[in-house]
Amino acid sequence: MNIDGWYKQILAGDKDAFRHLYEAYAEYAIRTASAITRNREMAKDAVQETFIRVYRQIDSYNQSSPFEPWFYRILTNECMRLLKKNSFYSKFEHPDLENEPSIAEESFDSLSDLYTVIQSLDDAHRIPLILKYLKGFTEKEIAEILELNHNTAKSRLFKGRQRLKDQLFPTERRLNNSE
Amino acid sequence: MSNLDKRATDELHARTDKHLQVLKDQIWEELEQELFSEDPLIRSRVKKLKKKNYAISLIITVAAGLLIALSLQTDTGTAFVKEIKEIFVPEKQIIQNIEGTDEETEVQLNEGKDSEYIIYVDETRYELTNGKNSDVISTIIPLPEKYPEVTMEIRQVADEKPEDLVNTIEAALKKDFPELREVEEVTEPVIGFNLHGAAGNEAESKIVNAYVISNGQEGSFVITQYYFLEAAEGHGARFHRMLETFKIVK
Repeated sequence: MNIDGWYKQILAGDKDAFRHLYEAYAEYAIRTASAITRNREMAKDAVQETFIRVYRQIDSYNQSSPFEPWFYRILTNECMRLLKKNSFYSKFEHPDLENEPSIAEESFDSLSDLYTVIQSLDDAHRIPLILKYLKGFTEKEIAEILELNHNTAKSRLFKGRQRLKDQLFPTERRLNNSE
Repeated sequence: MSNLDKRATDELHARTDKHLQVLKDQIWEELEQELFSEDPLIRSRVKKLKKKNYAISLIITVAAGLLIALSLQTDTGTAFVKEIKEIFVPEKQIIQNIEGTDEETEVQLNEGKDSEYIIYVDETRYELTNGKNSDVISTIIPLPEKYPEVTMEIRQVADEKPEDLVNTIEAALKKDFPELREVEEVTEPVIGFNLHGAAGNEAESKIVNAYVISNGQEGSFVITQYYFLEAAEGHGARFHRMLETFKIVK
């Protein structure tokens, strides 16, 4: 069964149907929230609040549209709200690595931690990349989730990926720049 | 899929694998208590925890109120308000993040209707017009006709508290924005209730972002921002930064 089957039951307050929905979507929700917030407790709160909102506001979901973009819009908004609220702490948990020379100078072989490079990007590029790579969302879906224009989402994914390449292949970048 | 894409996917999966099942079980346990417990005390636990976060701002507000009350016992009210206004510099620089880039902007002190509040306005782009019932901040150069309006309206409702007024505002906005999000309590850019809605996913789809906050007495201020989806990180971000400078002075 999928969301179409569970929708009416959840609307009627059916716990079993809601549990099925939770089992179907919790794992990737936790992964996504963990990657966006970079904090286990914050991710837990974001996912919990998302499912509470889904349960209480299921009537505002338009059944003719796909469920996942709607669900992930609530999740990413909740992650961003918590990040903003706790920005003082998150700065200390993950320093800005984008301008860290030691990373830029490392070669592809020695830099095995691509995750760290993704996390060093600014949120405008980091979050679309997380949605693309972790969950496999398309540009259109990412635009819908982040309430962006399609072209803006496309450009952010392109620039984000370009920055990953720049960080991972600094030699190649230098060669291209000197050409 | 390129090598880079595959590596990014693999690493994101690997790095978010830790404690997955434990977290999943813990979250379900709390959801079960919050949504399905028959004990109303348990159901209200999460709400109470959230309210705890607002305790600090509440203490600051009460402390500020006491300070004002004490000062008014020694000075006349008018002189005190004048002093408060003098604290605010006529012009200052702020750094705002517009479309991912930090931008240094000069903003100018503006007074609201009947000098009841102050707000710093980026006067290179916007102007504040004092109206009979409300004030409106709008773009100096009108936008091409194809774009929806871009404004921030500030209106005072002197006899209704935010918690009473917010439902009326929500019902009114839902007419144009049926998918209005559930009312949310916020602490930024102002402390109060936030209502946010989009009338579609197109570049020119209308966006509304409204705040209902206390006027410090028995009433409220309603601040309503209108822009469009493509302008969310431009005008939307600039309105947000301007609103952070909003202060009630009377």
